[in-house]
Amino acid sequence: MSEFTDYKKEIMDAAHNERIRVALSRAIKSYRSNTNDALKKFPHTIKMAEEVREIKSKAVGEMERLAEQASQAIEANKGKAYIAKTAKDALDIVDKLVGQQKKLIVKGKSMTGEEVGLREHLEEHGHDVYETDLGEFIIQKLGSRPMHILSPAIHVPKEDVAQLFSKITGKELSTDISTLVATARNLLREKYFQADIGMSGANVVAADTGTLFIIENEGNIRLATGAPPVHIALIGMEKLVPALGDAYKVAEVTWRYANYTVPSYVSLVSGPSKTGDIEKVTTYGAHGPKEFHVIFMDAGRTTLAKDPILRQALFCLRCGGCLYECPVFAVTAGHFGDKYFTGIGAVWAALLSDDPEKGAALAYTCLTCGRCKVRCPMKIDCASMVVELRRQLVDSKA
Amino acid sequence: MKRIEEMSKKSKELIPPGLSFLADNINSKNNVLGESKATGAKWAKDLNIPKQGETIFFAGCGYQFTKKLESLMGLVRGMDKSAVGAELPMAFAGFQKKLGINVAGIYGKITARGGDAEAQPLVDAVNVLKALGVEFGYLGEDEPCCGGLLHYIGLEQDFAKNANQVYKNLKSRGVKRIIGIVPSCTYALRELIPPHVSGYDIQVKHFSEVVLEKMASREMRFPKEIKVAYHDPCQMARFLGLTDQPRQILKAIKGITLVEPEWTSKEWATCCGGGGGFEAVFPELSHVLAVNRAKELADTGAQVLVTHCPGCIMQLKGGLKDLGKEEVEVLDLAQVVAASIGV
Repeated sequence: MSEFTDYKKEIMDAAHNERIRVALSRAIKSYRSNTNDALKKFPHTIKMAEEVREIKSKAVGEMERLAEQASQAIEANKGKAYIAKTAKDALDIVDKLVGQQKKLIVKGKSMTGEEVGLREHLEEHGHDVYETDLGEFIIQKLGSRPMHILSPAIHVPKEDVAQLFSKITGKELSTDISTLVATARNLLREKYFQADIGMSGANVVAADTGTLFIIENEGNIRLATGAPPVHIALIGMEKLVPALGDAYKVAEVTWRYANYTVPSYVSLVSGPSKTGDIEKVTTYGAHGPKEFHVIFMDAGRTTLAKDPILRQALFCLRCGGCLYECPVFAVTAGHFGDKYFTGIGAVWAALLSDDPEKGAALAYTCLTCGRCKVRCPMKIDCASMVVELRRQLVDSKA
Repeated sequence: MKRIEEMSKKSKELIPPGLSFLADNINSKNNVLGESKATGAKWAKDLNIPKQGETIFFAGCGYQFTKKLESLMGLVRGMDKSAVGAELPMAFAGFQKKLGINVAGIYGKITARGGDAEAQPLVDAVNVLKALGVEFGYLGEDEPCCGGLLHYIGLEQDFAKNANQVYKNLKSRGVKRIIGIVPSCTYALRELIPPHVSGYDIQVKHFSEVVLEKMASREMRFPKEIKVAYHDPCQMARFLGLTDQPRQILKAIKGITLVEPEWTSKEWATCCGGGGGFEAVFPELSHVLAVNRAKELADTGAQVLVTHCPGCIMQLKGGLKDLGKEEVEVLDLAQVVAASIGV
């Protein structure tokens, strides 16, 4: 029970942290009102979400085939594709691509990267890694861990950011948010163009064309995946859907429930940069990356897909809407979580990170109140999943 | 995946201690608190309800042991806040050993102080049903525990075993229809037990559904003018899908003005923090959540919070106390209806 004791202490400390509570209550209020407005403005989203659930439910059952298909499409587009059976395999592939020599790497935010500890891994191997998502950059510089899947620094108030950036720049910075944002922009600006490699994940991938959809507002991922000579994408296999048309639907539902209403940028990437403008000779590496590598990672997903109840965890679009409806998350933020958060995070911890103790601690922290399902565009029944996970963890074998 | 299989072979080691205590009570004493069943059924002794019937009223553990549960949770919360408690959430055996305190003894004293089981919502529910012309029996100390908590803990085999015993028990007494009152028992009897029992043919309705069907011609007036906020228990709103029934009942009562919290009502209602045994594992956190929910409801300006679950009632009372809003009353829907039809 010692792991449980430590965990319990951690979430109780969080629950008594007034700043987490204030930050979260503001975020919850704004999420609900923004999403409400977005759904009123684009009412077709609700019906589309039902379609997407169908698409995901089917695709999750054939991830291996879709990964093969997507790989072939990417290779046909002159990119390189890899299928990694485990998280370790994925990191080995990354290591080979990145090479032994110290590299400068700019990174977009990725939950899959978080899942395998990508940044930490690269740093341990001596590379210079920059998180370029503002929230993730703050977290990296604080030496903290993300507390929300979309707003990793949701628990850090502007005063703390000002203090942090003052330390980095050696200048006394005010708490004016636009100044802080501009500071991050200046700190990262040149890195995109100096970087040897840009890394990202993807929100959804169309298997027929091998197209990655990457949704963002900041523009950092466009730069990180566009400016350096090499782009490596690490993607969980559950992100695959059969066709481009499916992927558009998944993308729209994702951003609408992710509080983006309409995102500033959606990048569709299918291969390396190329040109035929001189004598129609196709040449790779025009303005964008010359090399495009995509790693599709299984790491327990195909096994999870066979579980009739827990497979729902793979439908998750990572919109983060459920987190705003979880009464425990409202007072603990990501402390109620592992790589992924809340009840669904318990399933990921136990089955994909293969950490049953952590999975159990999280599973028994879930109230099984079911409000997350009301919010979830995929109608993932988290309460049922958590109860089933508890059963798998503790029910004696017949 | 492999590790899960290894762990589950060691069965039950991952269950937080508070929950194993409750599970053992269900398995050995047939109720959540390990009380003797006769103690629980005392509330009904002067009500002259037949011991049998094709339709029965199902009281459940919650209301019958409310007093004891309140005292017990108070104790556990105190333990949880202390340094030792943080390490041993409701780990009774371990707690005893470590401090040399006889927790079972303390608990026994509390139960004694609680005196006779005071379960006013049950008495009121029974009187309301009678007044509305519903015929029913009550099994008293022979009423089985639905075992729902076993399911939520993850002990599905124990739950399945219990489910079959429950069904056998009910069938042997000729039960065809159940009127449930505790949302989680009602849900267990209606949805969780049937998949484990072949040929399950008992019809289960919730008290609020029955009242709504029968109240049509009845004049209902609450003794005074009050502003009421209704708290949807999770199991009522999101599991049984009963959000309109209690509201229609409340709206039909003269003297009551129903107000709703912003956003968090019906299927969006916030959990009181007492769900699925959570309060036994995280007593202190559970209280934090209770305060949050009580605030959402009290912010409506309601003088009375009405709900329909013994767990929620306990949580909301605790939350209001912490907010210094003890003037806000917490009542069960059954109590409100009883007062409004004068039974």
